[in-house]
Amino acid sequence: MIPHTLQVTLSIAVICYFIIILYYLKKKMLELKYTLIWLVAGVIMGIMIYFPELLVWFVGQLGIESNMNGLYILCIAFIMMILMTLTSIVSRQQLKIRILVQELSMMEKRIRELEHDTEERTDDRESV
Amino acid sequence: METIRKELVGKMDESKKVLIIIPAYNEGDNIEKVVDNLITNFPQYDYVIVNDGSTDHTRKVCRERGYEVLHLPINMGIGGAVQTGYRYARDNDYEIAVQIDGDGQHDVGFLAQMIQSMQKEQADCVIGSRFVEKEGFQSSGVRRIGIKFLSVLGWILTGVKVKDITSGYRLVNRRFINIFAEDYPTDYPEPEAMVITAVHKGKIIEYPVVMRDRENGTSSITLKKSVYYMFKVTLAMLIRRLSFGVRRQK
Repeated sequence: MIPHTLQVTLSIAVICYFIIILYYLKKKMLELKYTLIWLVAGVIMGIMIYFPELLVWFVGQLGIESNMNGLYILCIAFIMMILMTLTSIVSRQQLKIRILVQELSMMEKRIRELEHDTEERTDDRESV
Repeated sequence: METIRKELVGKMDESKKVLIIIPAYNEGDNIEKVVDNLITNFPQYDYVIVNDGSTDHTRKVCRERGYEVLHLPINMGIGGAVQTGYRYARDNDYEIAVQIDGDGQHDVGFLAQMIQSMQKEQADCVIGSRFVEKEGFQSSGVRRIGIKFLSVLGWILTGVKVKDITSGYRLVNRRFINIFAEDYPTDYPEPEAMVITAVHKGKIIEYPVVMRDRENGTSSITLKKSVYYMFKVTLAMLIRRLSFGVRRQK
């Protein structure tokens, strides 16, 4: 169904996609946990290049008549899913930052007071 | 050293340990008056300022005057700041925590009576309310309608009537210090905190207080933000109520 040249181009694109992800993973710029969804997406893209019939069949099952529309809908749904995951990650991190900041402020107060006490004690000793 | 410490601890046990939480974001001009008043006139209460990442001279003022202060390195919003106070109260075994605004709106003179009525009525939470006696600063008309709406919403959701639901002058007991230390709403927290208290089956009473208008600075809720405020708070209250729905059945 897909012309051979296009198939090759798309394959190269998907390979580049994987290389970029692996590069980031290697450089530890991506957490594997959050990358899994991107890897799964890459695998699905790869499958669709060689077996476009699967997509046609799946879109048909959903009751969407036009293949291209079906593809776009699937893409948008997938991107929205990733965005939602990201929002949830951001929210969770915000909660963690909040606890960190609060604990830090309390620790800072204790250190400040301890330093103050030590200073006083050395002052006392010096005056004696 | 050890005996002095024991004496101190013994003294603290006599009266209930009370902590006043004062969230302050860029309140450099107000904070001195508020805290000096506390130190001279109400030495029986402990206090802690939570400096919520202020960009003005709040930090400097606190250092020069030697105040009890927690400095948050980044701005966390009023909810995050107040929660820091509750965590501090929890970790230092306070029996009662009071939150007041850093701008001098709330008169600490009412606190003794509020604590008394809390003990008398065995309440978990006392809210200092402008609208019970209708004295002092009453806020503008539009704002009052908003507060009324939230108050009715809170009543529908929880069956508890709180007239001044946005009042930031409230005290809670040990049980709710622990609850709020773990779980406190982020921004514009007051109405949502009321829902949390109610769904945990805490007894809420309102105590009539007189509030002053702010002396310096402006309220954190400008007209522009109030639409967002109403929307966000309404939604937050609804979600709070829903997420506790199952637990409440038990």
